Amino acid sequence: MTFERDARTALADGQLRGALRHATTLFGERRRAALATVPDWEGARDRARAIKDETLAHLDRYLEEFTANAERAGAQVHWARDAAEACDIIGRIAQQRGARTVVKSKSMASEEIHLNAALARRGIEPVETDLGEYIVQLAGETPSHIVVPAIHKTKAQIAALFADKLGIALSDDVATLAAAARQALRRRFAEADLGISGVNFAVAETGTILILENEGNARLTTSLPRTHLALMGIEKVIPRFADLEVFLQLLPRSGTGQALTAYQSLLTGTKRRPEDEGPDELHIVLLDNGRSQMLASAVTRQTLACIRCGACLNACPVYRQIGGHAYGSVYPGPIGAVLTPQLLGTGRSSELPYASSLCGACRDVCPVKIDIPAVLLHLRAQAVDRGAGKRRVLERLAFWAYATVMARPRLLEWLVRAARTLRILPPLAAWTKWRDLRPLAPRSFREQWRAGLRDQRDPNA
Amino acid sequence: MRSGDARHEILYAIRTNLAQDTSPPILSSPSPEGTGGQGVRTPIPRDLVARFREQLVAVGALCTAVRGETEAAAALARILTDAGARRVVGSDSAVVQRLLHAMGDGFELERLDRLSRDELFSCDAGVTTAQWGIAETGTLVLESAREQSRLLSLVPPIHVAVLSTRCICDSLGDALARVSPASHAVTFITGPSRTSDIELTLVVGVHGPQTVHVLLMEEA
Repeated sequence: MTFERDARTALADGQLRGALRHATTLFGERRRAALATVPDWEGARDRARAIKDETLAHLDRYLEEFTANAERAGAQVHWARDAAEACDIIGRIAQQRGARTVVKSKSMASEEIHLNAALARRGIEPVETDLGEYIVQLAGETPSHIVVPAIHKTKAQIAALFADKLGIALSDDVATLAAAARQALRRRFAEADLGISGVNFAVAETGTILILENEGNARLTTSLPRTHLALMGIEKVIPRFADLEVFLQLLPRSGTGQALTAYQSLLTGTKRRPEDEGPDELHIVLLDNGRSQMLASAVTRQTLACIRCGACLNACPVYRQIGGHAYGSVYPGPIGAVLTPQLLGTGRSSELPYASSLCGACRDVCPVKIDIPAVLLHLRAQAVDRGAGKRRVLERLAFWAYATVMARPRLLEWLVRAARTLRILPPLAAWTKWRDLRPLAPRSFREQWRAGLRDQRDPNA
Repeated sequence: MRSGDARHEILYAIRTNLAQDTSPPILSSPSPEGTGGQGVRTPIPRDLVARFREQLVAVGALCTAVRGETEAAAALARILTDAGARRVVGSDSAVVQRLLHAMGDGFELERLDRLSRDELFSCDAGVTTAQWGIAETGTLVLESAREQSRLLSLVPPIHVAVLSTRCICDSLGDALARVSPASHAVTFITGPSRTSDIELTLVVGVHGPQTVHVLLMEEA
C-alpha cells in the first residue's frame, strides 16, 4: 500500500515532524484565540452551513444565476466537465492571446486539474506567485498544506534553493528571502500576458467573485495582465452578496487565526470605462470534475460545503504526524481523505478514507460543520461493497464470531478463562503491529462481581 | 458547440444527482434567513473612530488624524518625508491631487496615466483615498468606480490612504451593504501585505506595500 509506505517515510523524517508539530500547533492556538473574540461562533457556523446546504440543494439554479450576472457584467463563463476539459479551455485562451508567461495566484482547483503541466505542454510557462507555492514550484515539489504550501521546508533549504535558482547570496534572514522573491516575481508580473487565480466565493446575485489572500500576489495577478482567468469548482457559489459576511467571519479565523486576511478582492465583470484600471477580459471557468456526483446523497453532498480553510488538517492527529505528501493527493488531511476518493474515484485514493482514527477532531473545528467521520465511514462502506476490502472473508468470519460470543455470556466467560489460562490471544497482527494489546485482567469484572463486588456499597453514597 | 454541451451536461448531472437523494438532511440547520451568526459584532458600541484607530494599530497599519486639508497636506508631506519617499504617485481623486500639490517641494510627483509598468514599480509611494473604513477590523475599502487606486494601493512599498471620519462603518456587514455596485473591483485592505510562508515567520511587504498609512481627515 503506497499510503502506508509514504506515511512510514514521513514518520521517520524528524525535521518534517518538527515543522509539522510547530505549524499545526501554532495554527490551532491562533484559531482558538480568534474564536474567543467572537460572541456567537456556533451561530455563525450554523448559518454558514445553512447557506451552503441551501445553495447545494438548488445548485443548478444558482450556477445559472451566477453565470447570467457575471456575463452581464462583462465576464465570459466557461463550463468544464472534467480536468482535461478545463485544461483545454484555459490552454486555448492562453494560446489565443499569444501568452508565453502566465502568473498564477494560489488555486487548489488548478492543482487538482494539474494545470501547470498542461500549460507547459503547450509551451506556456506558468509562474506561481504565492511565496509558498513559488518555493514549492522552484523546488519541483507539490504543496503539503492547503494554507501554507511549503510548510515542509526549512529556512536553510529555502535559502539554498534561492541561491541556486535566483542567484542570490545565502541568507538565513526570512525578510531577505521574501524580498528576493518579491524582486524576481515583479519581473514575471510585468511580462505576464495572463493571470490565473482561484475563487473563494462566487455570488449568484451579483456575478461577483471574491478572492482572499495576505500577500498581494492575487491582487497583482488579477489587475496587471490584460486577461484574468478565474478557475472555480461549481460548489463555490453562494446566493447573496450579504452572505459574504458570515463566510468572511469564518474563513480567515479558521485558516490562519486572523480576523480578516490582508486583502479581499471583490471582482464583478470587467472594467466599465476604458480609463478604468484592470484587465480587459475576465474568463471564469466552472469546474465539475466529479462534484455533481457528490450531490446524490446528503452524506457525500456535505463535502461540497468545504471552504478550504485547512483547520481540519491542523487538528488531525494523523496529518499532524505525517504531513500532506503522504496522502499522495492534492487535497491532504481529513478533507482530502473524503474529497480525493470522490473526485478521482478509484486507485490509490481509495486507501485514504482509512487514514483516520475517526476521532472527530476535524468535525469539531470545521467552520461549516462537515461531519467528516460520517463521510469517511460512508466511503469505507462503499469500498467494502465494491469488494475492495482485502481480507473480506476473514473479517466477516471474525465479526460473525464476535457477535456469536458476545451474545452468549457463558461462552464469553469460558473463552476468557481459557485464553487467560492458556495465554493465547486471537491473531490480530494488523492491529497489534502498531498498537499494544492490553493483557487480560487477572480477574474479570464478572468474577469480581460474583465474589462480592455486588454487595459493596458505594463509600460516597 | 462543445462548451454549450458541457454546460447542459453539468446542469443535467446536478439535477439528476439531486433528484436521487431522498434522505432527510443529516444536520438540522436554521434557515439562512435565521438570526444565527449575527452576533459576531463587538457587543458594546463604542466611538467608531476610536475603535477604527485601535484596530488599525492592531493590524500593523499607521494612522495620523488631521482636521481639514491644510493640515492634511502638511501631515502627508511629513509622512512621506519620514518614510524616505521621493517619487510619489497620486490617484486621479481631486482631494488627493489638491493635497499633493499643496505639499511643497521635495517630491517628484508622477502621474499614473503617464507611467510605464516599470516606472510604476520604481515609485516609492502611492496616495489614494479610501471610500470606507471598517471599525470592527481596521479595514480600508477601495472602490474602482471612484478613482484609480487599484495599483497605487498595491505596487509601491508605501500606501497612504486618505479617509474621511464620516465614512467609517461599524462592521464588515455594514461595509458590504454600502459598497457601490458600480465598481467592478472592490478591494478590502487590512494592514500591510504579509506572509508567513517561510517557517511561519511573519514578513510584511512581500508583494504589496510594507507600510499602510491612513490619513484620517475630519472636515474643518
